[in-house]
Amino acid sequence: MKQEIRSERVQESYQKIDHPSGLTLLLYPMEGFSSAYAMLTTDYGSVDMAFRTDPQADFTRIPAGTAHFLEHKMFENEDGDAFAKYAATGASANAFTSFDKTSYLFGCADHFEESLRILLEFVTTPYFTQQTVSKEQGIIGQEIKMYDDNPDWRVLFNLLKAMYVKHPIAIDIAGTVESIAEITADSLYETYRAFYNLRNMVLTVAGSFSPDAVVRIADEMLRPAPQLQLERDFVQEPEQVAQKRIEQKFPVASPMFALGLKVCPADPKTNAANSIVNEIVNEVLAGDASPLYRRLYDSGLINATFDSETDCGKDFSAVIFSGESKDPDRVAREILQEIERIQKEGIDPAAFERGKKAVYGRYIRMLNRPDSIANAMVGAHFSGLGLYDLLEIAANATQEQAQQRLTEDYRTENASLSVISPLD
Amino acid sequence: MNDSIKRKKIGDGVYFTAIIDPKFKSNRISVNLVLPLEEETAANRAIVPFVLRLRYKDCPDFTRLNEKLCDLYGAVVDGDVRKYGAYQIINLSVQSLDDRYSIAGEPLVQECANLACGMLFDPYLENGLFSEEDVRLERQNLIDTIESEFNDKREYAIGKCVSLMFGGSPLAVKKYGTREKAKQITAKSATDAYREILCRAAVEILFIGCGDPSAAEEVFSARFAETQRQPVTYDTSLPHASAKEVRTVREDMDIAQGKLVMGFRTGETTSPDQVNAMKMMVALYGGTPFSRLFQNVREKLSLCYYCAARYDKASGMMMVDSGVETGNEQKAQEEILHQLELVKQGAFDDSELESTILTINNALKSTVDTLSGLENWYLTQILSGSDESPLDNAGKVSRITKDEIQAAASQITLDTVFFLAAKKEGQNQ
Repeated sequence: MKQEIRSERVQESYQKIDHPSGLTLLLYPMEGFSSAYAMLTTDYGSVDMAFRTDPQADFTRIPAGTAHFLEHKMFENEDGDAFAKYAATGASANAFTSFDKTSYLFGCADHFEESLRILLEFVTTPYFTQQTVSKEQGIIGQEIKMYDDNPDWRVLFNLLKAMYVKHPIAIDIAGTVESIAEITADSLYETYRAFYNLRNMVLTVAGSFSPDAVVRIADEMLRPAPQLQLERDFVQEPEQVAQKRIEQKFPVASPMFALGLKVCPADPKTNAANSIVNEIVNEVLAGDASPLYRRLYDSGLINATFDSETDCGKDFSAVIFSGESKDPDRVAREILQEIERIQKEGIDPAAFERGKKAVYGRYIRMLNRPDSIANAMVGAHFSGLGLYDLLEIAANATQEQAQQRLTEDYRTENASLSVISPLD
Repeated sequence: MNDSIKRKKIGDGVYFTAIIDPKFKSNRISVNLVLPLEEETAANRAIVPFVLRLRYKDCPDFTRLNEKLCDLYGAVVDGDVRKYGAYQIINLSVQSLDDRYSIAGEPLVQECANLACGMLFDPYLENGLFSEEDVRLERQNLIDTIESEFNDKREYAIGKCVSLMFGGSPLAVKKYGTREKAKQITAKSATDAYREILCRAAVEILFIGCGDPSAAEEVFSARFAETQRQPVTYDTSLPHASAKEVRTVREDMDIAQGKLVMGFRTGETTSPDQVNAMKMMVALYGGTPFSRLFQNVREKLSLCYYCAARYDKASGMMMVDSGVETGNEQKAQEEILHQLELVKQGAFDDSELESTILTINNALKSTVDTLSGLENWYLTQILSGSDESPLDNAGKVSRITKDEIQAAASQITLDTVFFLAAKKEGQNQ
């Protein structure tokens, strides 16, 4: 089944195809571009730590870091590794694992079809042996250490640890040296079969390519996947944060902080839509044009590294403010006070309009690049939205919606502060 | 040269380059003020774009300015400092949506050109100087930025190696200058630096996007015509030495993973062909996931989590940067050098060279699909005295031969090894 999805606003369109194999194809050809970017993504990330494929069976628990480990191992096939195959097409290939998805991607200007074949081939062909698993444990152990040395990463994961009591989002995506030691070739196969069902996956392509060629190659290479009977075991996460403050000493020059507000999640689609409105709320609250930003900047409490973001998935949602500051506790206090003030006094209509224009502009600019389009299509798809819905949600946001989000999502009693402070 | 690219002299030492492609939805105006890097002046010049970014005469309030940017659909104004070889580049840029995408048909391109011009020529002054308050704030921010290099251990180790290699030469001067010099910045010294930049810098203005660049060109031409200028001429071909002896420096730090950085000198690369060959050699040796370093040092021997080589043609340097468990650094270093030796001897397959060519071609051809890719490419070309398009360059690197790769590798000499050791691990062993 093929659908043409069109935006009157930007006068562009893309195709959504439900391929007979069960895979969803989202194809966004872009006129005038020289390169194409393709991503094959499974709806499986670091937070999916328990599943079953038989409703009668117990949930299978998987060690922390398995999704990321699997991503590394997928590149290895019996006939060599995928990077070596891409070497013959010149594509620039990579993969990443996030909280709620694992993506395999390549960008190229030439030989698109050959590269697409490589991508579809290696992600649908698992090959794990105990020997290669053991070797990977060493490599990923090094990767974990590299992240241990990254204060930007530490400040964020310490924050999540402080915010979440039970939710696996609090665990590093790569797991720990101990948790990945539990992974075996068999456990990888079992996890692979559960989550790498084509019905649980999406292929997104944007840029210079022929949609017909993609369909032709998918027809040739992909067999219909079995019915998807995947059930995840979601944890019951309390509304309250685990701890209000967390601090780590680290060799840094000046303190860094991340202040998180734990948002009560709804369904995935609502989480995603609310999160866009929250981007506007963040602009109003702490954007460059806000009174708070001015006050903090003028008192030297924040610098250009100050930023805000919204993050959400199936069963979590959060708003995060971060940056460097000589006094993180004071910045956190000021942000929380400003939230309470605007909750009481109401959002200034002019500030809302400005915030909305800024966020709308950001979403239009996203359509400038094949890679950002392919990425955004995945995120929207897994939350049950289309790419242009993101744009429309921003363009049609109302002040009432923003005020409601501010009341419901920015609950100052559910805030945690993570601080990285210099060694004594 | 690509038809869609037009470079034009619009003033004394001032050039305006328009790179237009209707496929984009935004426009970017990037003003680059180029001066030789000097330790004495670097910090005073570095603060200038950050002060200019805060406000200007027609919009003398930081918050009003940011409100205006929101109204321009989240237009982004950035001030920053770049470094190219021995030159410091003061950069001011504005990026916004094209007029076609504004909801009420506002003329965004014209507004952004006026904004960039206003910031550059009509700063907010009090008694002829930058505001004391603005300079105090941005001085502290500059000091924080200089100090924050220490936060990212990988960057810190690389910075250390570069300083050791080029100590005493302008190539070692950091783009933001030193903390000590930054602390001495005053409203007077920063304003003097601003006036000097406007008078002496070689100016490269780039307009990249889908809109009509003529408004921007006119407004910049008019303003530069009113400005007294004595621009420097920059030398695009600096001599590059070979290393005399290897210096090894080790530092201990409380971190989890050691960072090994090896700085090599490329020797003279006088012709564009030599530069292309060097670029391809470094990519084959350590610039791709199938390169010698990645495949051997990481994949086969598991000595490093990352191990990559990069080439800086402006400094005549190749740098190998890797994350190594403390205790393995000697083995890693030996293997890194061994792989270089193999490249020198030509002990690599034709398929490695073919793959490297494909990969670099792919990257070059993709450059033209992003505003930032185009900006970086053309600015670098202009600064190195060339106007080659990415596509033309792709054609040239495709013809690089194995002999040329070997010749390039043979010119490489190891100069400095810097190892940032993980103290904790060392103690546990």
